[in-house]
Amino acid sequence: MSRHRDALQQSVEAGSRFVALYASEETVRTVLVSPDGTPQIIVAPVVDGRTQSVVDLVPAAAWDEREAGDLYAIRFDGHEPMRPLVNHDLDLGSWTVPVHGHDAYQVAVGPIHAGVIESGHFRFHLVGDRILHLDVRLFYKHRGLERAAEGHSPEGGIAFAQRACAGCAVSNSLAYAHAWEDALGLAPTRELARSRTILLELERLWSHLNDIAAICAGVGFAAGNNRFAGLTERARRLNATLTGHRFLFNTISVGGSTFTLTREQVGHAYEQLEAIRDESRRAWRELLFNASFQDRLPDVGVVSVDVARTLGAVGPTARASGLAEDVRTTSRRLAYDDFQPVAPKRTAGDVQARLEQRAVELLQIVDLLESLLDAPVNPTAAVAGELEAAVGIGRVESPRGATVCVVERTNRQIKRLHLRTGSYANWPVVVHAAAGNLLPDFPLINKSFELCYACADR
Amino acid sequence: MLTLLRDLRSLRRTVALPRPDRGRSLALRHVDAGSCNGCEHELTLASSPYYDLQRFGLGLVASPRHADVLLVTGPVTSRMREPLLAAYHAMPEPRRVAALGDCALGCNVLGTHDALVGSVDEVLPVALRISGCPPRPDEIAAALLALIDQKTDTHGERD
Repeated sequence: MSRHRDALQQSVEAGSRFVALYASEETVRTVLVSPDGTPQIIVAPVVDGRTQSVVDLVPAAAWDEREAGDLYAIRFDGHEPMRPLVNHDLDLGSWTVPVHGHDAYQVAVGPIHAGVIESGHFRFHLVGDRILHLDVRLFYKHRGLERAAEGHSPEGGIAFAQRACAGCAVSNSLAYAHAWEDALGLAPTRELARSRTILLELERLWSHLNDIAAICAGVGFAAGNNRFAGLTERARRLNATLTGHRFLFNTISVGGSTFTLTREQVGHAYEQLEAIRDESRRAWRELLFNASFQDRLPDVGVVSVDVARTLGAVGPTARASGLAEDVRTTSRRLAYDDFQPVAPKRTAGDVQARLEQRAVELLQIVDLLESLLDAPVNPTAAVAGELEAAVGIGRVESPRGATVCVVERTNRQIKRLHLRTGSYANWPVVVHAAAGNLLPDFPLINKSFELCYACADR
Repeated sequence: MLTLLRDLRSLRRTVALPRPDRGRSLALRHVDAGSCNGCEHELTLASSPYYDLQRFGLGLVASPRHADVLLVTGPVTSRMREPLLAAYHAMPEPRRVAALGDCALGCNVLGTHDALVGSVDEVLPVALRISGCPPRPDEIAAALLALIDQKTDTHGERD
């Protein structure tokens, strides 16, 4: 066994978790984090365009290896069959799993969908209405953001992370800022940590409200959908009042923050948060007592705790399956003191559990925000003093789960940028959750994850 | 359920949207040609109780076959060029294309030359430009209402 595989196996056995794998400079780099949040990079050489796969040791790396295979022309020995992921030029047989048998047939959906939905292609293999297997083909929205960011300064590169996805704009740009600050040896002040934590939780607030609305839409429950869409609007208006942008764009910068909140703004935020909490609680009770809605949720799209662990599920998806997985417990650069992840009583990993997960987290977000908004927010800068490095790693808990950003640098220029978002980690889990369910339930299953296509495709 | 409906009714009163003065309509088909999902999030909320796009006869339809307007978001990626053209050619005439958001208009687009084709008007004839990053739901509604008026003026004309 080669050296990088030995090192990887040792780390995984010691409790480290896979967080990313990417190609850089004739090597493949695997990023792991230990249980206390310390990152580690394992470098594997690429010789004559080939390297040894690690997918048998960490199945969560499957998409990462397929991406590196397509974009950097690397062969991963031992990854069989190696299906294309980003390359769309190949025929159907090359990227779908062969499914044979009596009455098996395919249904092709997308890339353009019937509603206001991002572009992506789903190919269902079915017998009757029962899904045997799902192949997803994403990356229709691949813009080459990582490559385009190369050569940019720390400040110039932030747009590439931010605009990978509007739904995770703060998460992605904060992971990017943390990566640079890690590389430049900068540590946040208490005020910087607080200011950024407020922004991250404001993003989670509207996102979770949006997810609950989306699940209502997934079962065709228009009243619930409209109620939570109204609350989402309210949260986005709060964002605009506090930062001037409904999606909190341009609030994160590298090495400091210009974000301010006056005493009046803090007071306004507090009032709005109280109202959002009361109204969403009231609407949530209505969802609980709506039998025809609740009937659709249990035992659909199940992700067991073992599958969640093996496939590297993150965020609300992982927590709804019973994994106490949350980057906020080890976010030393942010103001999450004594943070404990919450979960509903029933963590069955189905649509119901993922919906309830959003509801319990929603209350936690409001509590967190209220405790952080105890004083006006002032501009502040990070302080130098830590060791500089050629590579920086930033990790944050996005609304959809752990997002990691790796910056490799030459002085103050990006040499290589890699962004692996919570959505990217969870897409293979959606595929798994679909199998065995009915095709008409798929929109609901998909909505219960509510992943972004944009920040997976980049 | 009653509480939900009552809350929605009272929210509607609070928001106090004006009644539309027009008896016309436009059927919209949205295509995401490579956006960051911001325009989609705002377009979704344009149908929420705070804006209620439908009161103007503006409805999102499931198929380009039923659509008057193709509402395109994002810069056009090389992988979305063909699906976008297919959707346009599936539409009945007369048809219009609206470019929604700064990326669709070709402003400050990020990405590589290989992965991107460019703005929407490099692929399709654009009749309506809605700027913003992303445009707010009320800005989207206002721009589409202007298109309804334009549609009436050019009624019967084929492109």
